[in-house]
Amino acid sequence: MLGKLTWSAIPFNQPIPLLTSILVILAMLAILAWVTVKGHWPYLWRDWITSVDHKHIGIMYCLLALVMLIRGFADAIMMRGQQAVALHGQGFLPPEHFDQIFSAHGTIMIFFVAMPFMIGLMNVIVPLQLGVRDVAFPTFNSVSFWLTASAVLLVNASLFIGEFAQTGWLVYPPLSELKFSPGVGVDYYLWAIQISGIGTLLTGINFVTTILKVRAPGMTYTRMPIFCWTALAANLLIVAAFPILTASLGMLLLDRYLGFHFFTTDLGGNPMMYINLIWAWGHPEVYILILPAFGVFSEVISTFSAKPLFGYRSMIIATMAICILSFMVWLHHFFTMGAGADVNGFFGIMTMIIAVPTGVKIFNWLFTMWAGRVRFEVPMLWAIAFMVTFVVGGMTGVLLAVPPADFVLHNSLFLVAHFHNVVIGGVLFGAFAGYSYWFPKAFGFKLDERWGKAAFGFWLVGFYVAFMPLYVLGLEGMTRRMQHYDVDRWQPWLLVAAAGAVLIFAGIGCQAIQLVVSIRNREALRDHTGDPWDGRTLEWSTSSPPPEFNFAVMPDVTGDEAYWTMKQRAIEERRLTDLPNYKAIEMPNNSATGFVVSFFAVVTGFALIWHIWWMVIAGLAGAFATFVVFAWRDHSEHELPASELARIDLLRRNARIDLVEGREKHITPVKLVAGGEGEDPHKVHGGPPDGGHKGPAPKRILTGYGFWIFLLSDFIIFAGFYAAYAVLSHATAGGPTPVQLFDLKNVALETAFLLLSSFACGMAMLASNVRNMLWTQVGYLVTGALGLAFLILEVTEFAHMLAQGAGPDRSAFLSAFFALVGLHGVHVTIGLLWLGTMMAQYWAKGFRADIMRRGMCFALFWHALDIIWVGIFTNVYLLGTAP
Amino acid sequence: MTMHGDDNGELVEDSAPGDQDAGEAGTADGIRNYAIGLVLAAGLTVASFWVASGTDLIYSPGVAMALAALAIGQMGVHLAFFLHITTGPDNINNVLALAFGVLIVGIVIAGSLWIMYHLNVNMMPAGMMDMHTQP
Repeated sequence: MLGKLTWSAIPFNQPIPLLTSILVILAMLAILAWVTVKGHWPYLWRDWITSVDHKHIGIMYCLLALVMLIRGFADAIMMRGQQAVALHGQGFLPPEHFDQIFSAHGTIMIFFVAMPFMIGLMNVIVPLQLGVRDVAFPTFNSVSFWLTASAVLLVNASLFIGEFAQTGWLVYPPLSELKFSPGVGVDYYLWAIQISGIGTLLTGINFVTTILKVRAPGMTYTRMPIFCWTALAANLLIVAAFPILTASLGMLLLDRYLGFHFFTTDLGGNPMMYINLIWAWGHPEVYILILPAFGVFSEVISTFSAKPLFGYRSMIIATMAICILSFMVWLHHFFTMGAGADVNGFFGIMTMIIAVPTGVKIFNWLFTMWAGRVRFEVPMLWAIAFMVTFVVGGMTGVLLAVPPADFVLHNSLFLVAHFHNVVIGGVLFGAFAGYSYWFPKAFGFKLDERWGKAAFGFWLVGFYVAFMPLYVLGLEGMTRRMQHYDVDRWQPWLLVAAAGAVLIFAGIGCQAIQLVVSIRNREALRDHTGDPWDGRTLEWSTSSPPPEFNFAVMPDVTGDEAYWTMKQRAIEERRLTDLPNYKAIEMPNNSATGFVVSFFAVVTGFALIWHIWWMVIAGLAGAFATFVVFAWRDHSEHELPASELARIDLLRRNARIDLVEGREKHITPVKLVAGGEGEDPHKVHGGPPDGGHKGPAPKRILTGYGFWIFLLSDFIIFAGFYAAYAVLSHATAGGPTPVQLFDLKNVALETAFLLLSSFACGMAMLASNVRNMLWTQVGYLVTGALGLAFLILEVTEFAHMLAQGAGPDRSAFLSAFFALVGLHGVHVTIGLLWLGTMMAQYWAKGFRADIMRRGMCFALFWHALDIIWVGIFTNVYLLGTAP
Repeated sequence: MTMHGDDNGELVEDSAPGDQDAGEAGTADGIRNYAIGLVLAAGLTVASFWVASGTDLIYSPGVAMALAALAIGQMGVHLAFFLHITTGPDNINNVLALAFGVLIVGIVIAGSLWIMYHLNVNMMPAGMMDMHTQP
């Protein structure tokens, strides 16, 4: 009934996790009770839980990240404490607990602190900077957030129910295989990351589509703020890299749950393949984190130097170069694993090359500050600290890129010091810079400056005290993840590092106090104008916090630095632009879809971890039903009347008059061109003032493009499985070979069915274009029947092979074969479920625009399955049996 | 260039992937387009099966290359005739996204094969290593 779950899963005999969990549960109950007593539930439900407003979703992401930062830091300070005392002894953490702590620390800090923080900042700011009212797919945005939150819940549940992985944050096999990690720890990790991975992929699709297709009129590519460019690059990396993670973790799950042999040590499995694939995701991942941080620093440095960003175009080129190059360096994470000189040489050189565009950026920031009027406010302090710290971290990175040096330093504390140097000094400082810079935009008041500076000081000093000793220890030969050690001369350095962790703790404490003090003094810190820092980009042109619709009238962009140009013109003319002609607008409705789907995701994930199979089925059915209900809804938008827009916008305009007339004392109007020489950089060079960009694309194009991006990431999942097949196809471990197993007649029939079904789907599309219901339904019926026939043939083939003893548990070749072909079959099954739902919808509701958009997506999906099948029947079946 | 009217009646120079120029090309043209695709795809499929059937007309170590080429050709046919991906200016974003996806697919597959081949060769057990290096 409850699978593997028994009372022994609760850690009654381990005081640290037990007490922590009880305290956390009590705190959560207290918060829930407080919310209930105060009657805040309707407000929370309406404005936050079901909200599809990108600003609210972004704030929830950042809050989640801050809470998890505390959890991750608790792990960190326990590790530093343990290593400070564990000389010639066991310290206070037994090995199995210490191993869980370092695994949880890495997992949480990367997936549940750095990722949500960056995605949160992008959510709050990118649509505002683009001058639009929301992201391309608001409801999916909410789904993304809640899926991330459910993964967080699962990871934290592992503290109280069961255990977490003891394998490091990337769960390397063979240690993470069932044979060596029989507990539920690795399963908690795998399902949590798979669930949050779906959320992250949806975010990537959403933001790529938003940035490429949803921009204010005149916001051409080369007028976008640099933060939007770095967000675009990061989200392109998400849609390209996260599928590889999903594929590799999927293979490990198959190994653990269904006895496959991808990465086992027997029957032809190859653990190195996992390490290869996971880093093909892992290296782009670090750029997913750092690129948005680079964007934050660019905005902050430009604003607080009161100058346009130096080398804007070179910044774009550097960003996009990193986006591509980051996919060509992954082997440097495993130089020592035996690839030999040419491979190591190639990846070493590529790694050094990727430092070049980053260097370009550093110089751009320095030149932006040069001759600027620099204001040392808190966001700028983080930015300057970043420049110094990140250069140190980058240099040690280039050092590690030299393969011979890496052979000495691999897996040592030098490496640990390096990546903390770039992740804390880059990503986290960037997150804090963005937090203090955009806080007034999100909440309408600034953060307290004195506590902000104190937090900054403790963090900066604490970072150097905590991590510089680790460089020394690495050079002294101390490896990472040591629960105890016997080398006396290491201990002084570890004591210093522990003291550094205490300083960082003080920094976090100051941040907490800063938040409380700022909320208390919010009236004194109020941002009346919406432009507290003398900003340059469009988010500062609306009020703080912005209204639900962001802009009553979409801004008309006529040049670079859209808002700065408008503001300077207004200040020169001493008046605002004329009152615009307000028109009613449509805003998306709230939706509980994200919250409900995530509830079922938690149920499904938990049931999978504990092998409670009936609950898995219930959870999946619930999630599917939620999506059907969502697809069935009739009203997805509500209208805001023009009078309401005019009323709200009038308040904003009144606040602006002070700013324009120079009464806000913190704004010191500077001339348009810093230095006053040369050409006006904001002048438009020929062409129409809108640069040829007319504004956001219509919904049909958004949907089609978003789905196209999804399909490309789906292709990349298949590429992962195909790569595994290509590598393992000769590992038959003495079992049956392709020639003995594959029946080409069957394959020919399958191919014919799928091809004809694609044709039928095309006919249905043509019929729906001319709104002919009969032929649309007939076309889809034929499509589905042929798809079903294909599926029956495939299932028969699989059953036949299993009956012969040639199942996926027989050899690595068969594992890879069943996974690849089976994944395609799962896609066909999902396609049939989708098709059935859609046919019912056409029948019930006719040719409605949203159903027709889904019809277009289904056609893309079905044709794409054909393309994948082409790869499979030629390169798996035909190549396998060719003489 | 295809001009689609959007919800507000403004003109947008862009196409969704998979959208055929329904307004201009009639249903008959559409059917012909899918039919050409079907015939080409079927032809390439038959060619693949023929290549793999052990015909003497093809130098046997070249079969893998021929199959890969036929597969890529057939994928192109599907993209052009079924998914209506064109080289037109309204399709630039769609093609760029596709190119990025293809690049990553290529890097993952080719990179994995290259790396894993080198690992296998270099990390071969000692006994087999000797056999490998003997003249």
